[in-house]
Amino acid sequence: MPVRLAMLALWRHPARTLLAILGIAVSAALLLDMVMLASGMRENFQGFLLLRGYQLRVAPKGTLPFDSDATIDSATALVRAIGRLPNVVAVSPVLGAQSQTTVGDSTITAFTLGIEPAVQGDYEIVRGRNLTDSGGVVVNQRWLTLARRQIGDTVTLAVGYDPQLRTVVGERTLVISGVARFFYTATTQPTVAVLLPVLQAMGGSTQRDRVSLLMVKAAAGADLEAVRNAVQLTSARISAISLEGATVQVEQRLAYFRQLALVLGSISLAVGVLLVTTLITIGVNERAGEIAVLRAIGTAKRHIVQQVVLEGLVLSVVGAVSGLLLGLLTARWLERILADFPGMPATFHFFVFQPRDAGISLGMLAAAGVVAGIYPAWRAASLPIAGTLRKEAVA
Amino acid sequence: MSAVVQVRDLARDYSMGRGSVHALRGVSFDVAQGEWVAIVGPSGCGKSTLLNLLGAVDTPDAGALTIAGQRIDKLGDAAATAFRLRHIGFVFQRFYLMPALSAAENIELPMAEAKVPRAERRARVGELLGYVGLAGRADHRPSQLSGGEQQRVAIARALANRPALLLADEPTGELDAATGREMIELFRRLNVDGTTIVVVTHDAQMASAAARRIQMRDGAIVEEAAE
Amino acid sequence: MWGLPCAVLLTAALTLPLSAQTIDSAPSRPVVVRTIALDARLATDAGVRIGDTVRVSALPGDTAAERAMVGALLARRADPSEIARSEYRARLHLDQLQRLVGYGDRVDRFAILSAGDSSRAGLLATINGAAFGFRAWPSAEIAVRTSSTFQVVRRFHRAIGVITIVASAAFLLCILLLKIDERRRDVAALRMMGISPATIVSSVVLEAGIIALLGSLLGVVFGIVVARLVNWHFQGVHRTSLAFTLVTTETVLFACVLSVVLGVLAGWVAARRLVAVPALTLLGR
Repeated sequence: MPVRLAMLALWRHPARTLLAILGIAVSAALLLDMVMLASGMRENFQGFLLLRGYQLRVAPKGTLPFDSDATIDSATALVRAIGRLPNVVAVSPVLGAQSQTTVGDSTITAFTLGIEPAVQGDYEIVRGRNLTDSGGVVVNQRWLTLARRQIGDTVTLAVGYDPQLRTVVGERTLVISGVARFFYTATTQPTVAVLLPVLQAMGGSTQRDRVSLLMVKAAAGADLEAVRNAVQLTSARISAISLEGATVQVEQRLAYFRQLALVLGSISLAVGVLLVTTLITIGVNERAGEIAVLRAIGTAKRHIVQQVVLEGLVLSVVGAVSGLLLGLLTARWLERILADFPGMPATFHFFVFQPRDAGISLGMLAAAGVVAGIYPAWRAASLPIAGTLRKEAVA
Repeated sequence: MSAVVQVRDLARDYSMGRGSVHALRGVSFDVAQGEWVAIVGPSGCGKSTLLNLLGAVDTPDAGALTIAGQRIDKLGDAAATAFRLRHIGFVFQRFYLMPALSAAENIELPMAEAKVPRAERRARVGELLGYVGLAGRADHRPSQLSGGEQQRVAIARALANRPALLLADEPTGELDAATGREMIELFRRLNVDGTTIVVVTHDAQMASAAARRIQMRDGAIVEEAAE
Repeated sequence: MWGLPCAVLLTAALTLPLSAQTIDSAPSRPVVVRTIALDARLATDAGVRIGDTVRVSALPGDTAAERAMVGALLARRADPSEIARSEYRARLHLDQLQRLVGYGDRVDRFAILSAGDSSRAGLLATINGAAFGFRAWPSAEIAVRTSSTFQVVRRFHRAIGVITIVASAAFLLCILLLKIDERRRDVAALRMMGISPATIVSSVVLEAGIIALLGSLLGVVFGIVVARLVNWHFQGVHRTSLAFTLVTTETVLFACVLSVVLGVLAGWVAARRLVAVPALTLLGR
């Protein structure tokens, strides 16, 4: 009977019930989005870094990978030294530079990677072939579209200018061997990859035996911190960054979003609770007479509280479930907005849905809705029966 | 006949601002099994206060009150509620049916609270609806019933758990004269069938239909008259 | 944009010891000690003061480091693009930095102060016509191009604002419906007295508007207090004078107008619903 009475009480005023559910649903959606934003970035970023299984990054001292144009010298010796360390399975050297390609009257400036195909962790081939020799180049679709070329075409890349001689420097003619999806650059950023020695040679003496970054893969089950320490000791001019360390650094950069998520999430929870509390309180006050009559005919206080709490629970649960669906939609909308950040890699997502986190946050809202109903219900059930009936009669 | 109700020196005061109002001053009387008693008096004489005390919805400040052999003047809230559920039937002036429930569901309410099995509840609802002459209105909501029909449903609800005592507060107060007469007839039938009734009323016809009248004034009994 | 010099500056900064005790007092070679300007945060963290001598090098642990004297401290610019970055900055004389990093006679960019707006277009054309490997841009255009990050953040904030407003509107309408429903008997009595529905609706709408206006003014005060708290907190965390949140006249006006409009609309909807019900029905007859 309490269930039936609770459902009937909600159904008696469909407009206000639906509005309350809408308010709770929007609050729940915002809460879910903020939870996805707060926890998702970390999870996604770590997954993002582990795309090819490289758990450590080695960058020039004091920098993050590609944070600046700084490079590491004596790269060959460093790669060998790191490769000999226990529990190191693979070392992938990467050199980054800008290249220019003239197409008609315009120039395409591309982010250019020098890699070793056997151990590279920066892209996957979508069409065509990977690099096999020094005459090849792998490009992304954006570059291909801008250059109006196709696989098999010959292109000329240059890495610099000599303003005094008014010529390009570091020019090389290459054949497009394949189209790739680059993990760590935006899809709107033209990107190409050549063999590491090729790019180093194109850069001339300033780039001889230099790399921008080393990616290190440790053996499964290895103590990553110990491997990181060992790598760090190989040279005083590098910073070895673990997954956790990189995550902490990026989280500092994106701290604003986490703090915003925390504040907005808390406000959403508070608004949802406030809405349920207000609705239940006013609804119970309206029905003070009915409640007094139920008490007069022998209905126990706890059953009245149960009925009212059920009303709050139904509102919260229906609101939370609706909020889940709404939240996934709004997350997609917000994700599309944030994806426009300049240079944002296509594989990085701000909003990541994790059932456990969603369950906890929406569960909290539902539970809060239940708790919100307890006090007004208890108060109403505790009103003096005779006095309440008299007041109702006068009213 | 044994006394279903025994009232001894019952008193109830209400504090109003700086002073207090003595709503009941040392009231004493008995109601025998199967008796029909009407409590009459001018407004503010304490008759509704007395009814509320008899129904265990209020507690006296002094005196003793025994109903169906149980002292109820010192019961806690939970015990008083349980007592009301099984031993008292309440009929109000304004019916106070649950607007969202049908007539049958309103009658079923006290039995559901008393954990009567569903089949037994349904059977009892059918019996009571027939008794009050509303067999065909089981699924109607209160808004679809006339005042008299609503009061009949309220009476059926009050009788659901076979209470020892039926209390009625101005049961004809919201009804027209003709419907009021029908209600009095129903009460008479209930009493003939053995229901012990205490009714508070301004209605002279209701009062004269009762076997005994207790006249109150200023919180005290001033006269008792039997049929 | 900062490229190699930035890395050098950062590297140089990181070679500085975090305690004054390790500042070298004996010169490594007999050269003129140049002055540099250091990030004020670095000075605080490393315990360095104006007049102190530091070693500056392009590479960590470089024994050929140059001595320099701290001639000035740089306050952090109120630039949102720098807030999230914790690295220190320093300013060196151009030739000293070029020599340190082996740049030779190269720079990353020039900044040009033109005689006036009228000469700027001609200047741009002249430079770009002669340029090879570089290009001239008006500063305003650079500002627009580099502010795309903030445009994204702005759109994100606006989207969050829209969601919040929808939730608030639903909440407001729900509460007003409840409050006005509570007065159904009063409304019924007024109707039975002959008061017209239009009068009843007007009074409810007026009441809702006043409550919305008072509520929005209270909200503005609350918003200003919270904005001050936010700025105080984040300015302390990031050691900057950047204003993280601004309460402007336009924002206040927008908030007040929106809440009054929503309040009036909610009041109108709730009142219209009530007066559409017959008076006797409102009384439960």
